[in-house]
Order: sequence, then structure tokens, then C-alpha cells
Amino acid sequence: MVMKNPKLARVAQGARLELVPLQVLVPVVSTIIALGIGLLIIAATGASVIEAIEAFWDGMAGSDFNIGASINRAISLALVGLGFIFASRANLTNVGGEGQIAMGGMFATAAALHGAGGLPLGLAFIVPLAVGTLAGAIWGGLAGVLKAARGTNEVISTLLLSFIALPLVYWSVESFHLLRKPISDVSSLPESAEIPDSTKLPLLFPDNGSPLHIGLLIAAIAVVVVWLVLRHSSLGLRLRAVGLNAMASRRAGMRTSFYVILAMTVSGGLGGLGGAIMILGQQFYLTSDFSSGYGFDGLVVGLLSRGSAVGVVIGALLFGFLRSGSINMEISAHVPSAVVLICQGLIVIVIAGSAILTNRKVTR
Amino acid sequence: MAVLELSGLTKRFGAFTALDDISLQIERGEVHCLLGENGAGKSTLCNLVFGVHRPDAGTMTLGGEPFHPRGPAEALQRGVVMVHQHFSLVPNMSVAENLMLGRASAVLKPQDIIVRMEQLAAEYGLEIDPEARIEDLSVGERQRVEIIKCLLGDPQLLVLDEPTAVLQPDEIDALLAICRQVALRGKSVILVTHKLGEISRVADRTTVLRQGRIIETVAMEGADIRSLVRSMVGRDVQSAGSVLAAAVDIEGKTPAKPSGAAGPVSPGEAVLEISDLVYRDPHGVPRLDGLSLTVGTGEIVGIAGVEGNGQTELGLILAGLAAPSAGAIVVGGAQVGGCTPQEITDAGVGIVPEDRHAVACIKELSVAENLYLGAIGKFSRFGLLDKSARRKAAEAMMRDFDVRASSPDVSMASLSGGNQQKAVLARELSLDPLVFLLAAQPTRGLDVGAIEAVYNRIRAARDDGLGVLLISSELEELMAVSDRIAVIYRGKLVGELAAGSFSREAIGAMMSGHAHV
Repeated sequence: MVMKNPKLARVAQGARLELVPLQVLVPVVSTIIALGIGLLIIAATGASVIEAIEAFWDGMAGSDFNIGASINRAISLALVGLGFIFASRANLTNVGGEGQIAMGGMFATAAALHGAGGLPLGLAFIVPLAVGTLAGAIWGGLAGVLKAARGTNEVISTLLLSFIALPLVYWSVESFHLLRKPISDVSSLPESAEIPDSTKLPLLFPDNGSPLHIGLLIAAIAVVVVWLVLRHSSLGLRLRAVGLNAMASRRAGMRTSFYVILAMTVSGGLGGLGGAIMILGQQFYLTSDFSSGYGFDGLVVGLLSRGSAVGVVIGALLFGFLRSGSINMEISAHVPSAVVLICQGLIVIVIAGSAILTNRKVTR
Repeated sequence: MAVLELSGLTKRFGAFTALDDISLQIERGEVHCLLGENGAGKSTLCNLVFGVHRPDAGTMTLGGEPFHPRGPAEALQRGVVMVHQHFSLVPNMSVAENLMLGRASAVLKPQDIIVRMEQLAAEYGLEIDPEARIEDLSVGERQRVEIIKCLLGDPQLLVLDEPTAVLQPDEIDALLAICRQVALRGKSVILVTHKLGEISRVADRTTVLRQGRIIETVAMEGADIRSLVRSMVGRDVQSAGSVLAAAVDIEGKTPAKPSGAAGPVSPGEAVLEISDLVYRDPHGVPRLDGLSLTVGTGEIVGIAGVEGNGQTELGLILAGLAAPSAGAIVVGGAQVGGCTPQEITDAGVGIVPEDRHAVACIKELSVAENLYLGAIGKFSRFGLLDKSARRKAAEAMMRDFDVRASSPDVSMASLSGGNQQKAVLARELSLDPLVFLLAAQPTRGLDVGAIEAVYNRIRAARDDGLGVLLISSELEELMAVSDRIAVIYRGKLVGELAAGSFSREAIGAMMSGHAHV
């Protein structure tokens, strides 16, 4: 009946034709607009725009080393973003990525420094990764338990748990009986000793100087597994059902509390893994602010992906490269890296704003 | 003389034509009923008149002047008032305060409102305590406040959208009397309903709507009820029999026993035994207070009662969504009181919950996902879903239960209420084992065709030897389907009637706590 009406048929077709490009087009255009505004701001600071762009590009992808470093940054962002969409499948908003990274990094450091270094067969880095994942999982799971048992809003609990986790890291690197490296000849900075070489993540291309490590493979596996679970597994459907309508899910025989705790545990575990990879892959020693906003960037990556694992990958790469570029821009072109933060904020606002636009078009 | 004149009104929502070329005159001092099934366009018509929507074509005149309200405020200003299905009252404020809302000038004068309320009480019999808080009032009293709010400004036209759906029998009588009083004083009333029983008692004229078109407008004096039903449903009344009579509430025409059914089956052994069930809500208020009930195999037991007397809580407890404070529930020999929903399902209990959207299904999920919501693992290998197997099984189930949807993959929300309910029934009646079915308000909000299908399913389940407990606020429905009716009042069963001895009056008296059998 609908298709007999030629006008309607055209509208329906038009909507279908638009659908695919819109979801790609909107983030791309919004990124370009945001970067354009960023350039205006750079010009306003008085720095040379050309110089800034050059420095920015060089930092992102100017060399094998820079590309590797950018991707390494993206790995941790992707893991936090995956954690975010995992929880959001159950209609839970995990904003505690920062705290989960912190716990994961701290416990991974502890495991690497105390015992794991001598293990054979790659266990030297696998065990710290697992310990970090577990620490993040417990930190996220705590919020899940609070939600299931007391109804505590997980946005508040994960945020507050972050405020606990960050000082815990600070405490651990301040205290000699915890992780602070012994005072030696020159340095007395509050940081841990460097982790043993055996516990550092193996490099993928050790010959060309790229810092790219096997965290990339771990993240790739995580992407595939999360995608499978969320889109094609019975667990994913149960998480979705519980998130959409807990009462109906309970009636259908699901243990809703279990799935709430599980979703938050897995979500936190992915964040913890991200934190562990930051330490074992690139930083090699724990500092009090080693997580430096990765949790919140990862949260934004998760938000922008709108629940899609592929979207997380794209968002994580974008933010990873932007971060590398901005660091270099600050060093070589003397442009405040805050400009890039402003650009990131603009991208988020423009994408989120235009999402409302695309949603409306699709549902009509 | 016509107060309101509609000519050629058309309203579309996207591709859907809700109203098509409606021309209608509402006379001064008449009660004009709009009759039609769900989705016939009654509410849309009211919303056009009240300015909530604007017509795509056609014109309206009010009192001879062109009338094209751009919003409810303009309609109100012109003397058109409306009582919606959902009340717009502030629960923790008093009646007088609610009446002052929306008409507040800079200075509030409570005394004026109270004087006006006394006038209205004298004119229309609309008595209510101005100091009472809304949250302490019954649904019928709240509706009365809404009507008073409408009449304060001395309107020309009062529109009531399905006002009787929420009322108990004696409140309905009072409301219909008020409608007549309003009409007697030269105002006009548009009353929307799908219940013929009410129409024959109150209407001067009736307009029948079907699929957005006017089928006929008839004067009620000497009108043939059966032909009205035919216009409304679009097919012959005989085919639907008592189902239809129950659905549209034609009084006195309901046979004590459905003609097409297998007749009262002598109930076998008890399949559900509830003894001394007590439930206290979180505030400690007893909602169920020592309720005892037995349902045998092969019988349908109806629970009648005014809403809020414990039916909802009984349904939740049987579904495993609330734990009883005391008492026992035994299904087929197994104790299930306080068990988890899964354990209750395993004991062979099917549940059609009262609240279709909150409990029975998840409207964002697909039909297939909803049909197998309790058996997600059934179509999973190594944890991954076999969606094509599930789709195939869902298609078969949809065929068996006549669930009409373009595909098992469309969202549950895109189905009509009737098809949603058929899907819920399909899921619950396909449980294995299955010995007992609870159907709570199973036809609420459904159209006649779907109601018929639901009744047939419930009867067929009974004939297959299931014990069925039917909780309903529709007396006609209970009388048409049940083998036995028990009446609940304040959390207790206060009486029971066997098939053949059903009477509206007796049940109605017990429902209001006035009589015992």
C-alpha cells in the first residue's frame, strides 16, 4: 500500500540512500569544522598557522615513531571506549574510566615490579596485564554491586570511585613502602621504579624504531569480542533486555542484578586493561598522573561511537592522533595544546549536536 | 442551532490519514457521543476541536464564527473545554488550589473559587470538598474536579475523552447524570466512548467513526443498537456474539454462558491453591489481607473488583515480582510463594501481566526477541545467537497465534496493542510444562477483534485442561468468560458466584463492599 504512492516510495528510498553516508559524513564534516575553528584560534594566538599545522601533522604521523605513538595512545582510548559501550548496552553509564585506568595501571605496575619479571613464556607481561584488568574490573564491579544492591546511580558512583582511585595512585607513588622507587643518587621524584624489561610489552616492529606494541593485537581482539558479544550473543541480548526494561527481564527469568554487576565488571576490566597497557607498553613507570585524562577521552570516544565497536576504533584513532599532534604542536610551534583540547570539545559538541539531526531524519 | 460545525476536516500523520473528510454538527444542548474502536479517530477529532492538533484541510465554526484554534489556550478562550483521559491535576495540592491553577490572575482569590464551586454543586450536583488534597481523592472524584475546572468558565462545549474507562459502575452513572445536567443548561457535550451501554443511556445523537471516516450519525431515540455495533465494527454482530457484547458493554444482552464455548467443565483437581495470602506494601499497608482461592484444572475463575483492592498485587505475587508477607501459594503441588519468576515458570505457570508495556514485553526489542524473551538460550550455540532459527520459530508461532506483523524482526512497539497481546499470549501459552495461566486485564485497550481472539485463546486453554485465573475490571468480560467469579474487596475475597448465577447488581454490590453472599 505504501509503495503504491510514488511520492512516499521516493521518500523511503531517499532515507535509505542517505542513511549510510550520513553516519560517516556527519563526524567527518564536524571534525573538519572543529579543526577549522581551531586554526582560527591558533591564528588568534599569534602563532604561525602554517608552522602549527606542520608541527601538528609531524606529531601525528610525521614518522614511523610518531605514527606508532599515536596508535599506542589510541589503544588505551579504544579499550576504555569499548568498556563504555559494553556498560551502555545494559543502559549503564560508566564515567569512571579514569579511575579504572588508574587502578589497572597501579596494580599492573605492582605486579610487574614484584614478582612477574622473572616469569617465563611471556607470562612476565601477561600476568601484570591480567592483574591490571582484574583491578579495573573490581573497581567497575563495585559500582555495579552498589547499583544492584542499593540502586545507587552508577554515574555518581563511578565518578566518585575515580576520585578515590587517583589519590590512591598518588599515595602509592609517594610511599616508599608501596611503589615509590628508592631514593637513589639523583632523582627523588614521586614515581615508581622502571618495570623490568621482561614485563614490557613486545614491540610489533622492533626494527624500524616504531614504539607500536602488541597492545594493538590485544585491542583488536577486544574489539572483535565486544562486537560479537554485544551484537550477536545471547549475553548481549540479555544485557540489552535488562537495560531496556528490568521488570520485564526479571519476569522473563533473568537475574537482573547479576547482569548489572557483570556489565560494570567487564566495563571496568576493559578500562583496567587500558591502564595496564599504558604502563607496560609506553610509560614503563608509574607516576601520580599517568592516566592524565585518558579515561575521560575514552568516555568521549565511547559516547561518540553511539554503541558501535567500529565507531570506538575510529574515535580512538582520531583522539589518539589528535593528542600526539597537539603535544608536538606545543613543543615545536609553541601553540598551547589547550587549542587541541578546545578542538576536541568542539568535535564532541558538533557530532553530538548533529546526531540529534540524523536521528530525527532516520526515525521520521 | 449548531454550536460547533465541522466541514471536510482531514488530518494526516505522515502517511497515515487519521481523519478523512469529517463533516459534523454539534447542536446546542445535546449530548453527542463519538463511537468507534481504538484507532478510529475519536481522540484525533477531539484534539482538533481542542486545538491540540490543527487540521490539514477543512473548516470549523464555533457559534457561527470561524474557529481555528492554534492551541488549547485559544480553544479555552472561545469556550471549548476538554477532560483528557489522563488528568492534569497536582496531586499534593488541594482541590481549590488546583482550580486556581491556570486561571491565576495576579491576585488569587480562594473565596471566589469556593463560591463558584458551591454554585456548580447546586446546579450540577458536583459536590466536592475544596480543601481535600487531590492525592486523597478517588479516581472518580478527581475526574469530578477536572469537570468542575472545565465548567468554572461557563463554556459552550465540553469534550470528554473516554471518561468512563477509569470509573466503577456507580461512578459511571453519576458521570452520565452530570452530562445530562450540563446539556440541560444549554451547553453541548461531546462524549467519546466505545461502550454502547453508556451511549444508549445518555446520548441524544451518536456519530460512528471507523478508520477515520464518519459511518453514520443517528438520533438515539428508537435507534437500533445492533446496527450501531455493525457500523462501528464493520461486520455482522452475530459472528462475534457475546464477545462483542462484552466488549462494547451492551447491558442485559450478555448470555450467562458464552454460546460458542464448551460449557462449564466440571473443574478437576486444584491446580492453584492460595491460602491466607497477606501482602504488605513497603509502607506496611496491607494490600492483600488473608486471601484464599482455589482454581481447578479446566476452569476459568474470574476476579472482580474495583481497581486498587489488591488485584495488581495478587498479579505481581503470582508472577514472582513481589514476595508475599505471609500465606502459601501452591501450583500443582509445588510451593511457589516468594519464588523467583524462573522457578514459577518452571512450575508451569504462564503469566499475562496487567501492564503490557512495563512487564509483559520490551517494546524496543523485536517480536522474535520478545517471543523468546524467557528462552534466549534456546537459540544460542557457544553463546552466539542463531537468529535465523529463532526467526523461523517465531514465524511459526506468529502464524499459530495470528500475530500480525510484517516480520518477526520489527520492533514490538510497531505492533498494535492487540497484536502485542497476542504475542504475549503466544509466549506464555507455549510454555512447557504449563498447568496454570494468570491473565490480568488481558483485553485492556484492545479493539473488538483482538478481544475476541484473546477470549478464544483463554477458553481454548481452559478446554485443554489449564486452570485460568482472570483478573479484570470489566464486569461484562468476567461474566462472558468465567466459569466462576470471585469478588475482591480490600485485599480479601468477599463472595463468589457460580456460572448461571452471575448478576451485575450482586457483583457490583460486593465490589463496593456493601453485601456478602
